[in-house]
Amino acid sequence: MTGTGNGSRPPTKVGCPTEPADGNALIPTGMEELRVRVQQLSLREQIERNHFLLMRLNAANARLIQSLEQGDVFEGIAEIIANLLGSEEIAVFDYHPVEKTFSLAWSSGVEAEALQPFLCGAGMFGRAVQQGLSQFQERQQDGALLPYEKNLTACVILKSSREIVGVIAIFGLLPQKNNLEWADYELLKFLETYGAVAMKFQRLQGRQVST
Amino acid sequence: MSTKKILLVDDSCTARLVNRMIFSQKSNYVLISAMDGKEAVERAKREKPDLILMDIVMPRMTGLEACRVLKKDKETEKIPVILLTTRGEEQYVQEGYASGCSDYLTKPVNDTELLDLLKAYLGE
Repeated sequence: MTGTGNGSRPPTKVGCPTEPADGNALIPTGMEELRVRVQQLSLREQIERNHFLLMRLNAANARLIQSLEQGDVFEGIAEIIANLLGSEEIAVFDYHPVEKTFSLAWSSGVEAEALQPFLCGAGMFGRAVQQGLSQFQERQQDGALLPYEKNLTACVILKSSREIVGVIAIFGLLPQKNNLEWADYELLKFLETYGAVAMKFQRLQGRQVST
Repeated sequence: MSTKKILLVDDSCTARLVNRMIFSQKSNYVLISAMDGKEAVERAKREKPDLILMDIVMPRMTGLEACRVLKKDKETEKIPVILLTTRGEEQYVQEGYASGCSDYLTKPVNDTELLDLLKAYLGE
């Protein structure tokens, strides 16, 4: 380590290598290099994170498109959530805007009986539909959850052209997953729109077949 | 340039696609795939991959069963098998290692962790 030798070196200005007050230019330059390295690392990290997110969205998109061809949109959504987000307890509800009611369209890993209370549309689930905005348990205020919503991680509003098509209710996360992360929220945003389009497509296709 | 061959085994096309994307963007591995344990055993015998990355819960033959079969076969016993699954419970992890797998990862996959592990096995 280099130093002034008298133990009374004036405070070094970080990131200002043009002012080597005591002729000890190595320290500020080293710090500047360190600062640049940290910035580069942070930039690289951000690039990696965004690249990872794009890969996940791309995979989700491909699975949704495949589900349109195979007619298994609900299974496709469940597969995306299981593999990319980390939950195997999912229910998808249809929303009927005229009657303002719900019906259970599909579920996996959750008992149908446990889903009955959700059909009344109260609590966090109801708020999601009333506000037209997805709701997440970790962003709820204390006491804002109904007893049966204890295990409800997220209510994702499926919305196509401002029309609510349905709701994805995500319950428990996999044991190795503690909470939703930033990329999970992005994935759920993707599902809000594209999941809705896929569900609507499947509905219309069903109608076409039946006529 | 690496020409190591990896067999991806998963019945979920989402999982296969994500893994393919991770490998194709960040490595030079040759990728082949199978959709269940039975197909994995057949492909492993035929194509002798350098490593197998396999899900557990699959139709026809689970990843655990496939791993046991591969480890009993002289032709495939030395191929490292990494189980990659949603099942993170201790009981499954223990069963995984008991089946003869070399490592056990849980979904959702972390691309850096996965690539580092593969590099460790494939010596690069």
